[in-house]
Amino acid sequence: MLGIDDPQIWLAYILCFVSAIGCMIYGALKWNDDSDDGEVD
Amino acid sequence: MVLSTPVLGIIILIYLMVIFYLGWLGYKKTKQTEDYMVAGRQIHPYILALSYGATFISTSAIIGFGGAAGALGMGLLWLAFMNIFVGIFIAFVFFGSKTRRMGLNLNAVTFPELIGRRFQSRFIQGFSGALIGIFMPLYAGIVLIGGARFLESTLSINYDVAVLILTVIVAAYVITGGLIAVMYTDALQGTLMFIGMAFLLVFTYAKLGGVTAAHSALTAMNNLVPESLAAGGHLGWTSMPAFGSPIWWTLVSTLVLGVGIGVVAQPQLAVRFMTVKNDTALNRAVLVGGPFILMMTGVAFTVGALSNAYFYQTLGKISVVVAGGNTDLIMPEFINSAMPSTFVVLFMLTLLAAAMSTLSSQFHTMGTSIGHDFYREYLKKGELGQTINITKAAIAFTILASVVLAYILPISIIARATAIFFGLCAAAFLPMYTGALFWKRMTKEGAIASLLVGTFSSLFWLAFVHKSEAVPLGISKAIFGVDTILTGTWTVVDPILVATPLAFVVAIVVSLMTKPTPQEHLDTCFKK
Repeated sequence: MLGIDDPQIWLAYILCFVSAIGCMIYGALKWNDDSDDGEVD
Repeated sequence: MVLSTPVLGIIILIYLMVIFYLGWLGYKKTKQTEDYMVAGRQIHPYILALSYGATFISTSAIIGFGGAAGALGMGLLWLAFMNIFVGIFIAFVFFGSKTRRMGLNLNAVTFPELIGRRFQSRFIQGFSGALIGIFMPLYAGIVLIGGARFLESTLSINYDVAVLILTVIVAAYVITGGLIAVMYTDALQGTLMFIGMAFLLVFTYAKLGGVTAAHSALTAMNNLVPESLAAGGHLGWTSMPAFGSPIWWTLVSTLVLGVGIGVVAQPQLAVRFMTVKNDTALNRAVLVGGPFILMMTGVAFTVGALSNAYFYQTLGKISVVVAGGNTDLIMPEFINSAMPSTFVVLFMLTLLAAAMSTLSSQFHTMGTSIGHDFYREYLKKGELGQTINITKAAIAFTILASVVLAYILPISIIARATAIFFGLCAAAFLPMYTGALFWKRMTKEGAIASLLVGTFSSLFWLAFVHKSEAVPLGISKAIFGVDTILTGTWTVVDPILVATPLAFVVAIVVSLMTKPTPQEHLDTCFKK
Protein backbone atom coordinates (compact mmCIF):
# COMPACT_ATOMS: atom_id res chain seq x y z
CA MET A 1 0.00 0.00 0.00
CA LEU A 2 1.20 3.55 -0.88
CA GLY A 3 4.37 2.07 -2.31
CA ILE A 4 5.34 0.65 1.10
CA ASP A 5 5.54 -3.13 1.39
CA ASP A 6 6.00 -3.57 5.13
CA PRO A 7 2.59 -3.43 6.87
CA GLN A 8 4.33 -2.21 10.07
CA ILE A 9 5.38 0.93 8.24
CA TRP A 10 2.20 1.78 6.33
CA LEU A 11 0.23 1.16 9.50
CA ALA A 12 2.35 3.80 11.25
CA TYR A 13 1.95 6.13 8.25
CA ILE A 14 -1.84 5.75 8.28
CA LEU A 15 -2.04 6.00 12.09
CA CYS A 16 -0.26 9.36 11.99
CA PHE A 17 -3.03 10.77 9.83
CA VAL A 18 -5.81 8.97 11.70
CA SER A 19 -4.59 10.29 15.06
CA ALA A 20 -4.17 13.86 13.76
CA ILE A 21 -7.64 13.81 12.20
CA GLY A 22 -8.94 12.26 15.42
CA CYS A 23 -7.53 15.19 17.36
CA MET A 24 -9.29 17.59 15.01
CA ILE A 25 -12.63 15.79 15.32
CA TYR A 26 -12.29 15.63 19.11
CA GLY A 27 -11.51 19.34 19.32
CA ALA A 28 -14.35 20.27 16.98
CA LEU A 29 -16.91 18.14 18.85
CA LYS A 30 -15.84 19.58 22.18
CA TRP A 31 -15.51 23.12 20.80
CA ASN A 32 -18.41 24.53 22.77
CA ASP A 33 -18.59 21.91 25.47
CA ASP A 34 -18.59 24.12 28.53
CA SER A 35 -19.99 21.49 30.87
CA ASP A 36 -16.76 21.63 32.87
CA ASP A 37 -16.35 23.70 35.96
CA GLY A 38 -13.41 24.84 38.01
CA GLU A 39 -12.87 27.81 35.75
CA VAL A 40 -10.45 30.60 36.59
CA ASP A 41 -12.25 33.86 37.26
CA MET B 1 24.37 28.53 0.46
CA VAL B 2 22.50 29.74 -2.61
CA LEU B 3 20.97 32.72 -0.92
CA SER B 4 22.63 36.08 -0.44
CA THR B 5 23.48 36.85 3.16
CA PRO B 6 22.03 40.42 3.15
CA VAL B 7 18.54 39.21 2.12
CA LEU B 8 18.52 36.56 4.78
CA GLY B 9 19.93 39.05 7.28
CA ILE B 10 17.06 41.48 6.61
CA ILE B 11 14.43 38.75 6.94
CA ILE B 12 15.93 37.59 10.23
CA LEU B 13 16.02 41.18 11.43
CA ILE B 14 12.30 41.66 10.69
CA TYR B 15 11.57 38.38 12.43
CA LEU B 16 13.55 39.46 15.50
CA MET B 17 11.74 42.79 15.63
CA VAL B 18 8.38 41.01 15.77
CA ILE B 19 9.77 38.70 18.46
CA PHE B 20 10.86 41.69 20.50
CA TYR B 21 7.45 43.28 20.11
CA LEU B 22 5.79 40.10 21.43
CA GLY B 23 8.31 39.96 24.26
CA TRP B 24 7.45 43.53 25.14
CA LEU B 25 3.73 42.65 25.13
CA GLY B 26 4.52 39.88 27.62
CA TYR B 27 6.42 42.33 29.79
CA LYS B 28 3.49 44.79 29.75
CA LYS B 29 0.98 42.10 30.68
CA THR B 30 3.06 40.69 33.53
CA LYS B 31 1.86 42.26 36.77
CA GLN B 32 2.10 39.51 39.38
CA THR B 33 3.78 36.18 40.10
CA GLU B 34 1.04 34.13 38.45
CA ASP B 35 1.48 36.09 35.21
CA TYR B 36 5.20 35.48 35.16
CA MET B 37 5.01 31.79 36.08
CA VAL B 38 1.81 30.51 34.43
CA ALA B 39 0.82 33.37 32.11
CA GLY B 40 -1.99 34.46 34.45
CA ARG B 41 -3.93 31.23 33.62
CA GLN B 42 -5.65 33.10 30.78
CA ILE B 43 -3.92 31.89 27.62
CA HIS B 44 -5.88 31.45 24.36
CA PRO B 45 -6.23 27.80 23.17
CA TYR B 46 -4.54 28.52 19.82
CA ILE B 47 -1.54 30.01 21.58
CA LEU B 48 -1.45 27.09 24.02
CA ALA B 49 -1.49 24.52 21.21
CA LEU B 50 1.22 26.20 19.16
CA SER B 51 3.33 27.02 22.18
CA TYR B 52 3.13 23.43 23.40
CA GLY B 53 3.95 22.10 19.93
CA ALA B 54 6.75 24.57 19.21
CA THR B 55 8.36 23.88 22.59
CA PHE B 56 8.00 20.14 22.09
CA ILE B 57 9.63 20.28 18.64
CA SER B 58 13.16 21.64 18.70
CA THR B 59 15.68 21.92 15.89
CA SER B 60 16.99 18.53 16.95
CA ALA B 61 13.56 16.94 16.35
CA ILE B 62 13.61 18.20 12.76
CA ILE B 63 17.30 17.99 11.90
CA GLY B 64 18.53 15.29 14.29
CA PHE B 65 15.56 12.94 14.19
CA GLY B 66 14.85 13.71 10.52
CA GLY B 67 18.45 12.69 9.86
CA ALA B 68 17.93 9.55 11.95
CA ALA B 69 15.01 8.71 9.66
CA GLY B 70 17.36 9.27 6.72
CA ALA B 71 19.59 6.56 8.15
CA LEU B 72 17.06 4.22 9.79
CA GLY B 73 14.04 4.73 7.55
CA MET B 74 10.33 5.27 8.01
CA GLY B 75 10.10 3.15 11.16
CA LEU B 76 10.44 6.47 12.95
CA LEU B 77 6.86 7.20 11.91
CA TRP B 78 5.89 5.18 14.97
CA LEU B 79 7.43 7.99 16.98
CA ALA B 80 5.42 10.55 14.98
CA PHE B 81 2.29 8.57 15.83
CA MET B 82 3.27 8.49 19.51
CA ASN B 83 3.95 12.24 19.41
CA ILE B 84 0.42 12.90 18.20
CA PHE B 85 -1.49 10.26 20.13
CA VAL B 86 0.40 10.32 23.44
CA GLY B 87 2.08 13.72 23.23
CA ILE B 88 -1.06 15.60 22.27
CA PHE B 89 -4.22 13.56 22.72
CA ILE B 90 -3.47 11.62 25.92
CA ALA B 91 -1.49 14.53 27.34
CA PHE B 92 -4.15 17.19 26.81
CA VAL B 93 -7.32 15.19 27.36
CA PHE B 94 -6.28 13.08 30.33
CA PHE B 95 -3.29 14.75 31.96
CA GLY B 96 -4.09 18.29 30.90
CA SER B 97 -7.49 18.82 32.47
CA LYS B 98 -6.51 17.17 35.76
CA THR B 99 -3.26 19.14 35.89
CA ARG B 100 -5.06 22.40 35.26
CA ARG B 101 -7.65 21.82 38.00
CA MET B 102 -5.21 20.56 40.58
CA GLY B 103 -2.80 23.39 39.81
CA LEU B 104 -5.60 25.85 40.44
CA ASN B 105 -6.83 24.09 43.59
CA LEU B 106 -3.36 23.98 45.09
CA ASN B 107 -2.31 27.37 43.74
CA ALA B 108 0.73 25.78 42.11
CA VAL B 109 2.72 27.79 39.56
CA THR B 110 5.31 25.21 38.46
CA PHE B 111 5.33 21.49 37.70
CA PRO B 112 7.44 20.53 40.76
CA GLU B 113 5.19 22.70 42.93
CA LEU B 114 2.08 20.90 41.69
CA ILE B 115 3.52 17.50 42.62
CA GLY B 116 5.08 18.79 45.84
CA ARG B 117 1.80 20.26 47.08
CA ARG B 118 -0.24 17.24 46.02
CA PHE B 119 2.00 15.07 48.21
CA GLN B 120 2.58 17.76 50.86
CA SER B 121 6.32 17.50 50.45
CA ARG B 122 8.80 20.32 50.04
CA PHE B 123 11.44 17.67 49.42
CA ILE B 124 9.65 16.51 46.25
CA GLN B 125 9.42 20.08 45.02
CA GLY B 126 13.04 20.88 45.87
CA PHE B 127 14.50 17.65 44.52
CA SER B 128 12.47 17.86 41.29
CA GLY B 129 13.49 21.50 40.90
CA ALA B 130 17.15 20.66 41.39
CA LEU B 131 16.94 17.71 38.99
CA ILE B 132 15.47 19.95 36.29
CA GLY B 133 17.98 22.69 37.07
CA ILE B 134 20.90 20.29 36.74
CA PHE B 135 19.87 18.23 33.73
CA MET B 136 17.83 20.61 31.62
CA PRO B 137 20.88 22.76 30.78
CA LEU B 138 22.19 19.65 29.00
CA TYR B 139 19.11 19.62 26.78
CA ALA B 140 19.14 23.42 26.42
CA GLY B 141 22.84 23.31 25.56
CA ILE B 142 22.07 21.01 22.63
CA VAL B 143 19.28 23.22 21.34
CA LEU B 144 21.58 26.21 21.67
CA ILE B 145 24.29 24.44 19.66
CA GLY B 146 21.73 23.67 16.93
CA GLY B 147 20.50 27.26 16.75
CA ALA B 148 24.00 28.75 16.83
CA ARG B 149 25.29 26.39 14.12
CA PHE B 150 22.40 27.59 11.98
CA LEU B 151 23.31 31.26 12.50
CA GLU B 152 26.96 30.47 11.91
CA SER B 153 26.40 28.82 8.53
CA THR B 154 23.63 31.04 7.17
CA LEU B 155 24.91 34.44 8.26
CA SER B 156 28.58 33.47 7.97
CA ILE B 157 29.34 34.65 11.49
CA ASN B 158 31.63 33.21 14.12
CA TYR B 159 30.14 30.35 16.19
CA ASP B 160 30.96 32.03 19.51
CA VAL B 161 29.26 35.22 18.38
CA ALA B 162 26.26 33.18 17.24
CA VAL B 163 25.90 31.51 20.66
CA LEU B 164 26.12 34.89 22.33
CA ILE B 165 23.56 36.58 20.04
CA LEU B 166 21.04 33.77 20.34
CA THR B 167 21.40 33.57 24.11
CA VAL B 168 21.08 37.30 24.67
CA ILE B 169 18.00 37.64 22.46
CA VAL B 170 16.11 34.73 23.99
CA ALA B 171 17.21 35.57 27.53
CA ALA B 172 16.03 39.17 27.09
CA TYR B 173 12.43 38.30 26.42
CA VAL B 174 12.26 35.33 28.78
CA ILE B 175 13.67 37.25 31.74
CA THR B 176 11.58 40.38 31.22
CA GLY B 177 8.33 38.95 29.88
CA GLY B 178 8.06 35.58 31.68
CA LEU B 179 5.79 32.84 30.40
CA ILE B 180 3.44 35.24 28.59
CA ALA B 181 6.31 36.45 26.39
CA VAL B 182 7.51 32.86 25.95
CA MET B 183 4.10 31.64 24.80
CA TYR B 184 3.35 34.59 22.51
CA THR B 185 6.67 34.23 20.73
CA ASP B 186 6.20 30.44 20.64
CA ALA B 187 2.90 30.90 18.81
CA LEU B 188 4.54 33.03 16.11
CA GLN B 189 7.45 30.61 15.85
CA GLY B 190 5.04 27.65 15.72
CA THR B 191 3.16 29.26 12.83
CA LEU B 192 6.41 29.75 10.90
CA MET B 193 7.38 26.15 11.60
CA PHE B 194 4.02 24.89 10.33
CA ILE B 195 4.31 26.81 7.06
CA GLY B 196 7.94 25.77 6.53
CA MET B 197 7.29 22.08 7.10
CA ALA B 198 4.14 22.10 4.93
CA PHE B 199 6.18 23.46 2.01
CA LEU B 200 8.90 20.91 2.66
CA LEU B 201 6.43 18.04 2.44
CA VAL B 202 4.79 19.26 -0.76
CA PHE B 203 8.12 20.01 -2.49
CA THR B 204 9.58 16.64 -1.54
CA TYR B 205 6.67 14.58 -2.83
CA ALA B 206 6.42 16.75 -5.97
CA LYS B 207 10.13 16.30 -6.64
CA LEU B 208 9.80 12.51 -6.41
CA GLY B 209 6.69 12.26 -8.60
CA GLY B 210 3.93 11.91 -5.98
CA VAL B 211 3.25 10.03 -2.77
CA THR B 212 3.13 6.44 -4.01
CA ALA B 213 5.89 6.96 -6.58
CA ALA B 214 8.18 8.43 -3.90
CA HIS B 215 7.57 5.55 -1.51
CA SER B 216 7.98 2.96 -4.28
CA ALA B 217 11.30 4.49 -5.28
CA LEU B 218 12.46 4.19 -1.68
CA THR B 219 11.17 0.61 -1.37
CA ALA B 220 13.09 -0.31 -4.52
CA MET B 221 16.32 0.71 -2.76
CA ASN B 222 16.19 -2.07 -0.14
CA ASN B 223 19.27 -3.73 -1.61
CA LEU B 224 21.31 -0.54 -1.14
CA VAL B 225 21.41 -0.63 2.65
CA PRO B 226 25.11 -0.44 3.60
CA GLU B 227 26.56 -3.59 5.08
CA SER B 228 27.25 -2.05 8.48
CA LEU B 229 23.57 -1.10 8.91
CA ALA B 230 22.28 -4.35 7.41
CA ALA B 231 24.35 -6.25 9.96
CA GLY B 232 22.55 -4.32 12.71
CA GLY B 233 19.14 -5.39 11.43
CA HIS B 234 18.35 -2.66 8.84
CA LEU B 235 16.01 -4.15 6.21
CA GLY B 236 15.39 -1.05 4.07
CA TRP B 237 13.97 2.45 4.48
CA THR B 238 10.35 1.42 4.15
CA SER B 239 10.67 -1.60 6.46
CA MET B 240 10.95 -2.01 10.20
CA PRO B 241 14.39 -3.30 11.31
CA ALA B 242 14.61 -7.03 12.06
CA PHE B 243 12.78 -7.77 15.33
CA GLY B 244 15.17 -7.86 18.30
CA SER B 245 18.18 -6.59 16.35
CA PRO B 246 20.32 -3.75 17.81
CA ILE B 247 18.77 -1.20 15.41
CA TRP B 248 15.29 -2.43 16.31
CA TRP B 249 16.03 -1.90 20.01
CA THR B 250 17.41 1.59 19.41
CA LEU B 251 14.43 2.52 17.28
CA VAL B 252 11.77 1.04 19.52
CA SER B 253 13.17 1.54 23.01
CA THR B 254 15.08 4.84 22.75
CA LEU B 255 13.29 6.68 20.00
CA VAL B 256 9.69 5.46 19.87
CA LEU B 257 9.10 4.67 23.55
CA GLY B 258 11.72 6.88 25.20
CA VAL B 259 10.86 10.06 23.44
CA GLY B 260 7.24 9.08 22.71
CA ILE B 261 6.25 8.46 26.34
CA GLY B 262 8.81 10.72 27.99
CA VAL B 263 7.07 13.77 26.62
CA VAL B 264 4.13 13.42 29.02
CA ALA B 265 6.38 14.05 32.01
CA GLN B 266 8.23 17.04 30.57
CA PRO B 267 8.04 19.87 33.12
CA GLN B 268 8.21 22.64 30.52
CA LEU B 269 5.23 21.11 28.71
CA ALA B 270 3.14 20.07 31.72
CA VAL B 271 3.26 23.60 33.17
CA ARG B 272 1.41 24.81 30.07
CA PHE B 273 -1.75 22.98 31.10
CA MET B 274 -1.98 25.42 33.97
CA THR B 275 -1.96 28.44 31.66
CA VAL B 276 -5.54 28.17 30.41
CA LYS B 277 -8.71 29.05 32.22
CA ASN B 278 -10.91 26.04 31.49
CA ASP B 279 -11.10 22.54 29.99
CA THR B 280 -12.76 23.89 26.87
CA ALA B 281 -9.52 25.70 26.04
CA LEU B 282 -7.61 22.40 26.41
CA ASN B 283 -10.07 20.57 24.14
CA ARG B 284 -9.85 23.29 21.53
CA ALA B 285 -6.06 23.16 21.70
CA VAL B 286 -6.21 19.44 20.74
CA LEU B 287 -7.73 20.45 17.40
CA VAL B 288 -4.69 22.56 16.56
CA GLY B 289 -2.06 20.44 18.33
CA GLY B 290 -2.70 17.12 16.51
CA PRO B 291 -2.23 18.41 12.95
CA PHE B 292 0.63 20.64 14.12
CA ILE B 293 2.68 17.71 15.39
CA LEU B 294 1.80 15.66 12.29
CA MET B 295 3.27 18.50 10.24
CA MET B 296 6.43 18.55 12.39
CA THR B 297 7.64 15.06 13.17
CA GLY B 298 5.48 13.28 10.57
CA VAL B 299 6.96 15.45 7.83
CA ALA B 300 10.53 15.46 9.18
CA PHE B 301 10.66 11.65 9.40
CA THR B 302 9.02 11.07 6.02
CA VAL B 303 11.22 13.61 4.25
CA GLY B 304 14.33 12.35 6.06
CA ALA B 305 13.69 8.82 4.79
CA LEU B 306 12.72 9.99 1.29
CA SER B 307 15.93 12.00 0.94
CA ASN B 308 17.55 8.64 0.11
CA ALA B 309 15.39 8.31 -3.00
CA TYR B 310 16.22 11.87 -4.07
CA PHE B 311 19.96 11.50 -3.59
CA TYR B 312 19.98 8.12 -5.27
CA GLN B 313 18.18 9.51 -8.33
CA THR B 314 20.39 12.58 -8.60
CA LEU B 315 23.78 11.50 -7.28
CA GLY B 316 23.53 7.73 -7.18
CA LYS B 317 24.27 7.72 -3.44
CA ILE B 318 22.27 7.18 -0.28
CA SER B 319 21.77 10.04 2.22
CA VAL B 320 24.23 8.88 4.87
CA VAL B 321 26.97 8.76 2.25
CA VAL B 322 26.06 12.21 0.89
CA ALA B 323 26.19 13.57 4.45
CA GLY B 324 29.64 12.07 4.96
CA GLY B 325 28.40 9.72 7.68
CA ASN B 326 27.00 12.50 9.89
CA THR B 327 23.22 12.02 10.05
CA ASP B 328 22.77 15.56 11.38
CA LEU B 329 23.76 16.82 7.94
CA ILE B 330 21.22 14.79 5.96
CA MET B 331 18.34 17.28 6.28
CA PRO B 332 20.45 20.42 5.58
CA GLU B 333 22.09 18.69 2.58
CA PHE B 334 18.72 17.66 1.22
CA ILE B 335 17.13 21.07 1.68
CA ASN B 336 20.06 22.90 0.13
CA SER B 337 20.24 20.70 -2.92
CA ALA B 338 16.60 19.79 -3.56
CA MET B 339 14.63 22.88 -2.60
CA PRO B 340 14.24 26.20 -4.44
CA SER B 341 16.37 28.97 -2.93
CA THR B 342 13.40 31.04 -1.72
CA PHE B 343 12.28 28.04 0.25
CA VAL B 344 15.71 27.68 1.79
CA VAL B 345 15.18 31.11 3.39
CA LEU B 346 11.82 30.13 4.77
CA PHE B 347 13.21 26.89 6.07
CA MET B 348 16.14 28.59 7.75
CA LEU B 349 13.64 30.75 9.57
CA THR B 350 11.68 27.60 10.49
CA LEU B 351 14.78 26.14 12.08
CA LEU B 352 15.66 29.32 13.94
CA ALA B 353 12.07 29.50 15.21
CA ALA B 354 12.22 25.85 16.31
CA ALA B 355 15.41 26.46 18.27
CA MET B 356 14.21 29.69 19.89
CA SER B 357 10.80 28.38 20.92
CA THR B 358 12.29 25.38 22.68
CA LEU B 359 15.11 27.40 24.24
CA SER B 360 12.81 30.06 25.66
CA SER B 361 10.71 27.49 27.48
CA GLN B 362 13.77 25.67 28.74
CA PHE B 363 15.22 28.90 30.11
CA HIS B 364 11.93 29.71 31.82
CA THR B 365 11.53 26.22 33.30
CA MET B 366 15.14 25.95 34.48
CA GLY B 367 14.88 29.35 36.12
CA THR B 368 11.62 28.66 37.92
CA SER B 369 12.89 25.22 39.00
CA ILE B 370 16.05 26.59 40.59
CA GLY B 371 14.75 29.96 41.74
CA HIS B 372 11.25 29.12 42.87
CA ASP B 373 11.13 25.36 43.54
CA PHE B 374 14.59 24.67 44.85
CA TYR B 375 15.81 27.92 46.38
CA ARG B 376 12.68 29.68 47.58
CA GLU B 377 10.34 26.80 48.44
CA TYR B 378 12.83 24.15 49.53
CA LEU B 379 15.86 25.94 50.97
CA LYS B 380 14.05 29.04 52.23
CA LYS B 381 10.80 27.20 53.13
CA GLY B 382 8.83 29.62 51.01
CA GLU B 383 9.55 32.61 53.22
CA LEU B 384 10.95 35.04 50.64
CA GLY B 385 8.36 37.16 48.90
CA GLN B 386 10.48 37.99 45.87
CA THR B 387 9.62 35.03 43.65
CA ILE B 388 9.93 36.86 40.34
CA ASN B 389 13.29 38.47 41.08
CA ILE B 390 14.82 35.25 42.39
CA THR B 391 13.49 33.41 39.36
CA LYS B 392 14.97 36.02 37.03
CA ALA B 393 18.36 35.64 38.69
CA ALA B 394 18.06 31.86 38.44
CA ILE B 395 17.15 32.08 34.75
CA ALA B 396 20.29 34.10 34.12
CA PHE B 397 22.36 31.56 36.10
CA THR B 398 20.99 28.48 34.32
CA ILE B 399 21.36 30.17 30.93
CA LEU B 400 25.02 30.62 31.73
CA ALA B 401 25.28 26.92 32.55
CA SER B 402 23.69 26.05 29.18
CA VAL B 403 26.10 28.32 27.33
CA VAL B 404 29.07 26.71 29.05
CA LEU B 405 27.70 23.28 28.10
CA ALA B 406 27.20 24.44 24.52
CA TYR B 407 30.97 24.96 24.41
CA ILE B 408 32.20 21.86 26.19
CA LEU B 409 29.79 19.08 25.18
CA PRO B 410 31.39 16.51 22.88
CA ILE B 411 29.82 16.16 19.45
CA SER B 412 29.10 12.47 20.10
CA ILE B 413 26.65 13.20 22.91
CA ILE B 414 24.56 15.75 20.97
CA ALA B 415 22.18 13.37 19.30
CA ARG B 416 21.67 11.56 22.60
CA ALA B 417 20.92 14.51 24.85
CA THR B 418 17.25 14.92 23.96
CA ALA B 419 16.63 11.23 24.53
CA ILE B 420 18.62 11.29 27.80
CA PHE B 421 16.58 14.16 29.19
CA PHE B 422 13.25 12.75 28.04
CA GLY B 423 14.12 9.35 29.51
CA LEU B 424 15.22 10.81 32.83
CA CYS B 425 12.00 12.84 33.10
CA ALA B 426 9.91 9.78 32.32
CA ALA B 427 11.58 7.67 35.00
CA ALA B 428 11.75 10.36 37.69
CA PHE B 429 8.44 12.15 37.16
CA LEU B 430 5.99 9.99 35.24
CA PRO B 431 5.06 7.54 38.04
CA MET B 432 4.50 10.26 40.64
CA TYR B 433 2.84 12.65 38.18
CA THR B 434 0.45 9.89 37.06
CA GLY B 435 -0.20 8.88 40.66
CA ALA B 436 -0.71 12.49 41.72
CA LEU B 437 -3.49 12.92 39.17
CA PHE B 438 -5.12 9.50 38.96
CA TRP B 439 -4.46 7.50 42.13
CA LYS B 440 -5.66 8.96 45.40
CA ARG B 441 -4.10 6.13 47.38
CA MET B 442 -0.59 7.18 46.34
CA THR B 443 1.25 8.53 49.37
CA LYS B 444 4.01 11.02 49.94
CA GLU B 445 6.42 8.21 50.76
CA GLY B 446 5.46 6.32 47.61
CA ALA B 447 6.04 9.44 45.53
CA ILE B 448 9.43 10.16 47.10
CA ALA B 449 10.53 6.55 46.68
CA SER B 450 9.54 6.50 42.99
CA LEU B 451 11.23 9.85 42.38
CA LEU B 452 14.52 8.65 43.88
CA VAL B 453 14.44 5.16 42.37
CA GLY B 454 13.43 6.52 38.95
CA THR B 455 16.16 9.15 38.97
CA PHE B 456 19.03 7.04 40.20
CA SER B 457 18.21 3.84 38.33
CA SER B 458 17.93 5.86 35.13
CA LEU B 459 21.27 7.56 35.74
CA PHE B 460 22.89 4.26 36.74
CA TRP B 461 21.69 2.55 33.57
CA LEU B 462 22.97 5.48 31.49
CA ALA B 463 26.40 5.48 33.05
CA PHE B 464 27.01 1.74 33.38
CA VAL B 465 24.85 -0.26 30.98
CA HIS B 466 23.43 1.63 27.97
CA LYS B 467 26.29 1.61 25.50
CA SER B 468 25.41 4.82 23.62
CA GLU B 469 25.94 6.91 26.76
CA ALA B 470 28.13 4.70 28.92
CA VAL B 471 30.95 4.56 26.35
CA PRO B 472 31.27 8.31 25.67
CA LEU B 473 30.82 9.12 29.38
CA GLY B 474 33.55 6.67 30.35
CA ILE B 475 32.49 6.40 34.03
CA SER B 476 32.07 2.64 33.88
CA LYS B 477 35.46 2.30 32.23
CA ALA B 478 37.09 4.44 34.92
CA ILE B 479 35.55 2.52 37.83
CA PHE B 480 35.20 -1.06 36.62
CA GLY B 481 37.59 -1.11 33.68
CA VAL B 482 34.83 -2.21 31.25
CA ASP B 483 32.75 -0.12 28.85
CA THR B 484 29.48 -1.53 30.22
CA ILE B 485 28.91 -3.81 33.20
CA LEU B 486 26.31 -5.90 31.36
CA THR B 487 26.70 -7.28 27.85
CA GLY B 488 24.58 -8.35 24.88
CA THR B 489 21.09 -6.97 24.24
CA TRP B 490 21.01 -5.17 27.60
CA THR B 491 23.46 -2.59 26.29
CA VAL B 492 20.98 -1.42 23.66
CA VAL B 493 17.89 -1.36 25.93
CA ASP B 494 17.10 2.25 26.79
CA PRO B 495 17.11 3.33 30.49
CA ILE B 496 13.44 4.32 30.17
CA LEU B 497 12.41 0.67 29.68
CA VAL B 498 14.15 -0.35 32.91
CA ALA B 499 13.90 2.68 35.19
CA THR B 500 10.31 3.74 34.51
CA PRO B 501 8.64 0.39 35.22
CA LEU B 502 10.87 -0.01 38.29
CA ALA B 503 9.80 3.42 39.57
CA PHE B 504 6.14 2.56 38.96
CA VAL B 505 6.45 -0.68 40.94
CA VAL B 506 8.22 1.11 43.80
CA ALA B 507 5.54 3.82 43.80
CA ILE B 508 2.76 1.26 44.12
CA VAL B 509 4.43 -0.97 46.71
CA VAL B 510 5.60 1.84 48.98
CA SER B 511 2.25 3.64 48.74
CA LEU B 512 0.33 0.54 49.77
CA MET B 513 2.67 0.02 52.72
CA THR B 514 2.33 3.56 54.06
CA LYS B 515 -0.45 5.60 55.63
CA PRO B 516 -2.98 7.05 53.15
CA THR B 517 -3.07 10.80 52.53
CA PRO B 518 -5.67 12.54 54.79
CA GLN B 519 -9.06 12.75 53.07
CA GLU B 520 -9.27 16.45 53.79
CA HIS B 521 -6.16 17.17 51.70
CA LEU B 522 -7.35 14.92 48.89
CA ASP B 523 -10.64 16.84 48.83
CA THR B 524 -8.70 20.07 48.32
CA CYS B 525 -6.56 18.53 45.56
CA PHE B 526 -9.40 16.95 43.63
CA LYS B 527 -12.00 19.69 44.18
CA LYS B 528 -14.03 20.30 41.00
